[in-house]
Amino acid sequence: MEVLRVSKSIEYTYFPGCTIPFRLPHFELTMREVLNRLNVELVTDEGHTCCPEPTTFPGVDIEAWFTIGARNIAVSEASSRDTVALCSGCFHTLSVVKHTLKTDSDIRERVNKRLKNAGMQATGEVTVKNILHVLHEDVGLDQIAKKITHPLKGLSIASHYGCHLVRPIEATYMDDAENPQWMEDLIRVVGAEPVEYKDKMACCGAPIGPSDESKSFKLTAQKLQKISDAGADAIVLICPTCYTQLEMQQRKAIEYLDTELNMPVLYLGEMLALAMGLTDLVVSNSRRYHRVKIEPLLEKIGVGE
Amino acid sequence: MTDHGISSDLEFRKWILLQPEGKTLLRCYQCGRCTAACPIAMIDESFNPRLFLEKLILADESLAQERLIWTCLTCEQCEVRCPEHVKIPEILVLAKVRGLLSGNTPQTALDRARAILSEGRTILVSEPMHKTREKMGLPSLGPPPVAQLGKILKELGTVERVESVESRYGGAEGE
Repeated sequence: MEVLRVSKSIEYTYFPGCTIPFRLPHFELTMREVLNRLNVELVTDEGHTCCPEPTTFPGVDIEAWFTIGARNIAVSEASSRDTVALCSGCFHTLSVVKHTLKTDSDIRERVNKRLKNAGMQATGEVTVKNILHVLHEDVGLDQIAKKITHPLKGLSIASHYGCHLVRPIEATYMDDAENPQWMEDLIRVVGAEPVEYKDKMACCGAPIGPSDESKSFKLTAQKLQKISDAGADAIVLICPTCYTQLEMQQRKAIEYLDTELNMPVLYLGEMLALAMGLTDLVVSNSRRYHRVKIEPLLEKIGVGE
Repeated sequence: MTDHGISSDLEFRKWILLQPEGKTLLRCYQCGRCTAACPIAMIDESFNPRLFLEKLILADESLAQERLIWTCLTCEQCEVRCPEHVKIPEILVLAKVRGLLSGNTPQTALDRARAILSEGRTILVSEPMHKTREKMGLPSLGPPPVAQLGKILKELGTVERVESVESRYGGAEGE
């Protein structure tokens, strides 16, 4: 006898942050559509503020960073859902603050005294996830594979994890601090070939843009060169700051190289959307948010104009 | 201007040890794996995490006044390779915090902090940005509860401190 399965959708509290919703909304758009097909829903909560971002704000006032971060954790803890941040910076702040609240009773007490002034409380008990936890661990590769209608055959794709998504491993609960594999698994699921390249976990360079632009771009250029040398057709990534650095600023970074180079960059949601046949969704936003043309990729997988 | 002389400050060292993960500084035995792993040290030999830790262990506060400290990527490659799991990036952050009042903070870092404290966001959100979300069919996001931020930060005096600071990074490079 066949058992009728009514698949219930999984709901997460969506932590929006600043950059994705307002500067790179195509990240949110494509990922929401992909998640929709996987029966996952993101619910926003008006109570959240900036995480605060982890690259410069802690160096201005570390105690305020913990306090504002704990306030966001308190907002998330008020619902019974797990929280997911699409942005790696937000994810890093929330998971480090959550971890510290749980393991350091001194700061937990200090911060909660302040939160009390707003009638709030944070324990660090909420589960904070990034999109790889949701896709790879909660939904699972098998379920994703079922929704792939347009495999990205013939494409070689290099993953760029970025630092803040993965480290520190005791707070991020990722698979490995030096050689994570979850994105490679997703690249295989969409029918493409993951490309191995030198120094995969090297930083994109963005965090030091505010203090030393030339060093920042030097690192970006090195990264792009190594990926290009390994024969990749494109980069896939998750972090909006890495995207800004490796994609939006690619022309500027390339000036630090002796050679010419043109490396398309896809957000993870765009890669999955293309493989699920959501071509129009990706293409209609590609001119506005991509400075490096993605048309060569589309041609290669046979969906070009 | 950078002060290369040693200015010993036990109070600063004590404060570091009281911060979350600050005590991990005492586990450092100066092996130098952090510097070997650091991508900035690779392109700038004056950036030396092992030496930074040595200074802090010796209660030398001059690090807080060095611009160099702000070229730490916070990528945590040093920490991943550290055999003693010293929380190096978090400790270097404490030196940055210590340099705030004397202006050793990049202008962009101050601008971002001010935006976060006054708007609840790192960027100033414009009407066209809301419109784009609407056109894409994305849920609208209201203004963050900034008044509440003020309430919980009052005791710290963060807003007043950040407002009062002037960055020395304003002018041309290498001043």
